[in-house]
Amino acid sequence: MGASVNKTTETAFEPLLQFDMEMEDFLSDWHHCDHVSSYLARMISHNRTDPVRHSNFFSSALNELLEVSFRGGTTDGKIGLSIYRQGATERVQLSFPCPPGQARFYREAVSKTRESDAQARYLDAISNDLAPSRESVLLDLAVNYDARLRLDEDAAPAITLIVDLPLEGMVS
Amino acid sequence: MAASLPQRFKVDFDPNSQIFSLAGTIRPRSIDEIAESIHALREAIDTVRGVLYIDVKRLIQMNNTAFQAFIRVALDACRERSDLRLIVVTSSVVSWTTRMFRHLSTIEPQISVEVYDSMFYPGQDYFEDTSFIPILRAQTKLTWRHERTILPRHGMRPGIAVADICCGIGDFAVLAQKEFQPSRIVALDHSKPSLAYARKVAAEFGVTGIEYTYGDASEMLLEDNQFDFVSCRHSLQVFNQPELLLKELYRIVKPGGRVYITNEKNSHCLGEPRAQSIQWTYNELARLLSNFEIDVEFGPKSRRYLADTGFDDILVESFMVTNLDGDPQDFADIIAGWEKMFADMAVRHGETPEFIERFRQGFRDHIFAALHPKGYAGWPIWAASGRKPL
Repeated sequence: MGASVNKTTETAFEPLLQFDMEMEDFLSDWHHCDHVSSYLARMISHNRTDPVRHSNFFSSALNELLEVSFRGGTTDGKIGLSIYRQGATERVQLSFPCPPGQARFYREAVSKTRESDAQARYLDAISNDLAPSRESVLLDLAVNYDARLRLDEDAAPAITLIVDLPLEGMVS
Repeated sequence: MAASLPQRFKVDFDPNSQIFSLAGTIRPRSIDEIAESIHALREAIDTVRGVLYIDVKRLIQMNNTAFQAFIRVALDACRERSDLRLIVVTSSVVSWTTRMFRHLSTIEPQISVEVYDSMFYPGQDYFEDTSFIPILRAQTKLTWRHERTILPRHGMRPGIAVADICCGIGDFAVLAQKEFQPSRIVALDHSKPSLAYARKVAAEFGVTGIEYTYGDASEMLLEDNQFDFVSCRHSLQVFNQPELLLKELYRIVKPGGRVYITNEKNSHCLGEPRAQSIQWTYNELARLLSNFEIDVEFGPKSRRYLADTGFDDILVESFMVTNLDGDPQDFADIIAGWEKMFADMAVRHGETPEFIERFRQGFRDHIFAALHPKGYAGWPIWAASGRKPL
């Protein structure tokens, strides 16, 4: 699924910004997730209908994605973050190197976000788990942010999470 | 980049009202970092009988690690204690909190989730009624003639970051942007109809760059120390807790920046002829509105409130909007709007028909004075500002 990118849809998204950082530097401080998500959210939200609330909402989602890459990434290579826009939707494209064998885990986790029982899985996770798994974080994005997720594995061993967030309509 | 963003959050428990509140940004890497706060929630639950309110209205950010840790405590407590009820109070301003916390009532019947999105202050339904929009427009039209020259004395200048809090229909923000070209201008209000109107007007006039945002002025999403100039016009007087608003205005202005407030002293509204009738009505107006926790005598108190909040270099001045400021009919239209709105409030408060008739007559006499060829009608306003110490 991840490798088959729909080119027509892809070109309809307008690029907003791109952010790259050495993974080793990124992983040196947990607060990078908070700082990067807050800063970039404010930048891309300035021309939304309600920039402050859009920024808050977007930062919340982006931070979760960055935390996934922080917890699951390895030091060799770069973390790459691109944000695009099409109408009321922002697309986040997050690439990061991860250990061999992890791609399968992400493939399955992403796949579960698109299944009909995604909400039930999410509720089960937050009801019973002591701490969030990366799988439940991705379910959170699907359930609470109406995100549509897919995975691109073209640049292995790095993976790319592609997440469409239709937050503008939810904020306004 | 954003090194100034600290990990900041506040946990508080009020045993008298049985409210446990979480505020700020909580994004820990592990549960260990928030162990003390988790323990505080457990203790709060152990302390209360019946209902515990979990107030997350001021929760700006919380990651899944913290969310799951806190709800774990709440869910376990409900499973252990059948007498316990938890009410989570979210804010309509912070979109993600309502969406995340709403699931709790599905998982656990002893937990309910309430969205706090109305009655942020006692007189809100009057001042946020859309029928009040034309009055607000007329008011700003007349006050701007004075404020455009006053504002630079209080720190307004081109190229700075400005926030207009309680912006109403956003007309002041538009005028300020045109006159002073700030580098950034945020306009916040709690009335969605007013903001919709503001966006519509801005679009129609091709005004871009004003960041209109929905929010509660006493609990804003805006970050600390962001603005060079923060205005809050005619609003402290209608909030029942002006000191809370001032604290927020202080928080968002940069050190060295200024907070500018305008307020009225309605008992000083005046007119000739028919001065006595006018005076009586405005004295009664101040008394009536105090029943709604609205202090339209706030103007001269500005200096004290600013000082008590911690501002220095406080400047206070007053100006009189009169029927001679352009077309007298504009002044008369404002008073006509006041008559309708305040008479409705008098009825709501249970005043007698005789009182209401005399009360209305004072407004009509004020209009008479405004439109009289030799008349004079005035509405005094206090403009004040204070600097946040460096």
